[in-house]
Amino acid sequence: MPLVTLCPACDLAHRRTAAPAFERTRCVRCHKPLQVARNTTIDTAIALAVCASVLMFLANVYPLVAMHVNGASRQTTLIGAALGLYDQHYKMLAMLVFLTVFVAPLLHVVTLLYVLVPLWIGRSAYGQNFVIRLISRVRPWSFTEVFLLGTVVALVRLAKFAHIVPGIALWSCVLLMLCLSAMTSRTSAEQLWQWAGQGRQ
Amino acid sequence: MTRHAATGRSLGLLVCLDCHLTMRDVKAPQMRCPRCHARLHARKPHSLALTTTLLILAAVLYVPANLLPVMDTRTLIDDESDTIMSGVLVLLHSGSWPIALLVFVASIVVPLLKILALAVLIYAAWMRRPNGRMQRSQLYRAVEFIGKWSMLDIYAISLLATLVQVQSFASIIVGWGAWAFGAVVVLTLLATHTFDERLLWDTQ
Repeated sequence: MPLVTLCPACDLAHRRTAAPAFERTRCVRCHKPLQVARNTTIDTAIALAVCASVLMFLANVYPLVAMHVNGASRQTTLIGAALGLYDQHYKMLAMLVFLTVFVAPLLHVVTLLYVLVPLWIGRSAYGQNFVIRLISRVRPWSFTEVFLLGTVVALVRLAKFAHIVPGIALWSCVLLMLCLSAMTSRTSAEQLWQWAGQGRQ
Repeated sequence: MTRHAATGRSLGLLVCLDCHLTMRDVKAPQMRCPRCHARLHARKPHSLALTTTLLILAAVLYVPANLLPVMDTRTLIDDESDTIMSGVLVLLHSGSWPIALLVFVASIVVPLLKILALAVLIYAAWMRRPNGRMQRSQLYRAVEFIGKWSMLDIYAISLLATLVQVQSFASIIVGWGAWAFGAVVVLTLLATHTFDERLLWDTQ
């Protein structure tokens, strides 16, 4: 364990011995959080990740919303929204939606489980360190909460001329958003490396 | 304290931005982090040049993103083009002003503020001005935090275009404004990623 920790945001050197072992610490100069409080167990993180994967399954299998207008009805799933753009030949936009609301959250949860489950039983996953790095690279591109708000905006615009029925996937998305944010706040990069470090000893 | 602050640069240390491990800087060009194997740099390579390029592209595309129609609503009786701003007005007239305000802030104000804020940060990092570093660091973190919320309109448009395809009654066609707008959002997100916050503090 090195004796000095650098702040990743302002490069200031901090003596590690001056910091409490398991408390939340901030950079004295720029106030960037340096160390997270150890308030979570691997069990909690795995439980949240399993919960998120179940919700993600529901959110993608069931229709998001159905619209009834003049006797006709249309419904769409989450991936259907990306495909709708693809059908109109906006391939890049479709890709952007697909990556940020489906691929990134899925990859986030799957990679987290891939790393955490072996750690939980006292082993370490093949390529663990690479995967932990992948997690912190994927995380900023998971936009479930923004998608949800975008859905609300779309439904408000439609509500005046069509009858809108929220589907199971919409409610799953709401829960998924809460679950993902609880999971993300408990599995910071520092926390993951701390667990990984304990596994090796 | 600020004048003689011991930084990684002055001590010959560097920190891995992926896993936050601190180690000795051996100045090797292909140096990798011993823990997570990420490529290491004392500062993000070509940070200011990359951020500036992405930002200029974003600023240029911001114009068509706001002027071109983002969607085209075709019904039996009329054919109506909506830009982002007219979409906000439609929401306002349908009586849902909180949603109208939300879209206005997320799609018009936030991208503009992001572009301006990043320009200010690039200028400050380039000038190495020591005053107000803390405020600029906070500004950067604010830009980082609100960045993704501009995607809101893209998701709304994609859902509308998918749902409203009722044969011979009404259909919504996506416009090139949406493409430009999506590009602005992605470019500003990338510009935020390529900017190295530590440049704001390299003023000694």
